[in-house]
Amino acid sequence: MRLTKVGRRYAPGGPWVLRGVDLDVPAGALLRISGANGSGKSTLLRLLAGIDAPSEGRIHGRPRTAYVPERFPSALPFTAIGYLTHLGRVHGLRGPVADARARAWLERFGADGHAGTQLRELSKGTSQKVAVAQALLAEPELLILDEAWTGLDTAARAELDLAVGELTSTGATAVYVDHDPRRLAGAVDAAYRVDGAALVPDTATSSEPAPQVTVLARGRAGVSLPGGLPEGTHAELDAAGSARLTVPAAHSDTLLRTLLHADPPWHIRAVREPGRAVEGPQPSSAAQELTS
Amino acid sequence: MRKPPTSTALLRYHTALLLRSQRWLPPVLVYAALVAVGAQPGDPVLDSLGYTSAALLPVAAWLTRISATQEPPAARHVTASAAGPGRAHLAALLTASGCAAALGTAGSALVVAMSGWWNTSHEVRIAPLPMVLAALLAVAVCVLLGTAVGALCTWPLLRSPGWSVSLTALLALLAIVTTGSPARETVWALITGSRTGTTPVLLLPLAGAALLAVAAGATVCGVCSRRG
Repeated sequence: MRLTKVGRRYAPGGPWVLRGVDLDVPAGALLRISGANGSGKSTLLRLLAGIDAPSEGRIHGRPRTAYVPERFPSALPFTAIGYLTHLGRVHGLRGPVADARARAWLERFGADGHAGTQLRELSKGTSQKVAVAQALLAEPELLILDEAWTGLDTAARAELDLAVGELTSTGATAVYVDHDPRRLAGAVDAAYRVDGAALVPDTATSSEPAPQVTVLARGRAGVSLPGGLPEGTHAELDAAGSARLTVPAAHSDTLLRTLLHADPPWHIRAVREPGRAVEGPQPSSAAQELTS
Repeated sequence: MRKPPTSTALLRYHTALLLRSQRWLPPVLVYAALVAVGAQPGDPVLDSLGYTSAALLPVAAWLTRISATQEPPAARHVTASAAGPGRAHLAALLTASGCAAALGTAGSALVVAMSGWWNTSHEVRIAPLPMVLAALLAVAVCVLLGTAVGALCTWPLLRSPGWSVSLTALLALLAIVTTGSPARETVWALITGSRTGTTPVLLLPLAGAALLAVAAGATVCGVCSRRG
């Protein structure tokens, strides 16, 4: 998708919220948008999501898109699973597929117990999980996240980080705004800042240290590491077949999947997160999901 | 296999929203009250049909207003992103007109069943087939115009609820009484037909109402991606 000289204002003759925005949104990229409060970040995301049309300029090549708003309203007369199934159908899925994917995503975010709960009875955090599940179950080609992490608990935030990493590793594009500058740092392909009404490259975020995950794996002696390791992987391999791989946390699932699906598969000995080490037979939540 | 975003899914979603929200209850009750007061058992059928189809127009506009605004903004953004804003809004309008058409058909069926199939002076018998056709045409004309009025007087063109309600009521009234309005012509033809005993089967007002509804729908659906 490509934005050419895109401008947006909310009234003819009114002030430009955005103007002269040229942006390439390549497939498989993770883009971060930052900017001060009220700077037009959300306007840009709504343009990217296809909710708003630009007042001037053009947007070419819109892929299948899903959008996660910052605060999802609970004033809809559906149960969580009912809403998700409806939205899955709107996204082009058949009912049973939408239902199954909705349940799987709710389970992954630890909200499967609320599948049958009315949206208006859900807590803010659980509502937000429904909003995130709605977008992820569609397996979109373009995912737009407007502070989607706000209101999620720590585990769900980490899960969303992983889900975004998985999605971009399959070739889909994700564009996000988040107030936490460390969010997905290290996995970001390009960062932009809304400055006035203009969109400028953001160099500040790239210097943020990215949270890294270290994976200890063992392969056969003399076998080299499999191809297709995620971008940003730092690998040390010794002659006996022991490997130590460090990746940005957002790509850790992709790394594990690549190792486990390699022929011959690699044995995962440990997965270490910064500040937390889980050794041996108790794999991390990411590894657990892959092996279960 | 993945299908493209389907309009049936959107219609299903909006219909479920409307039926579950119970916001349909007030307009349906108002319509039921108007039919109950205006059409008595044994009254001349064409008179009663004219009256009930006129009552349907503001009710259709009301239902359209409800359907077009029932999603909170964030939910509307989610749907718009998945299906396209124009298509999502069109589904809301079609849902409202479908519900209004069902309501009007039910109301007209009741009126046909309980009215006397005679003209006003009780001299000329009204034939059933043209009568049913005239009733369905009147329902269609009033639903189309009511939907057009409701669509023009709410989001995305009008966002203030106060103005929206007043303008909807005013335009709905004008649509019924203004000479040349398809609804007025249809209702008038039923009432004069009741006097003379000739059942009016008018296609021109239907074409006019359809044209106005399509124009209104195209306008509002085209605008909704420009209004946030």
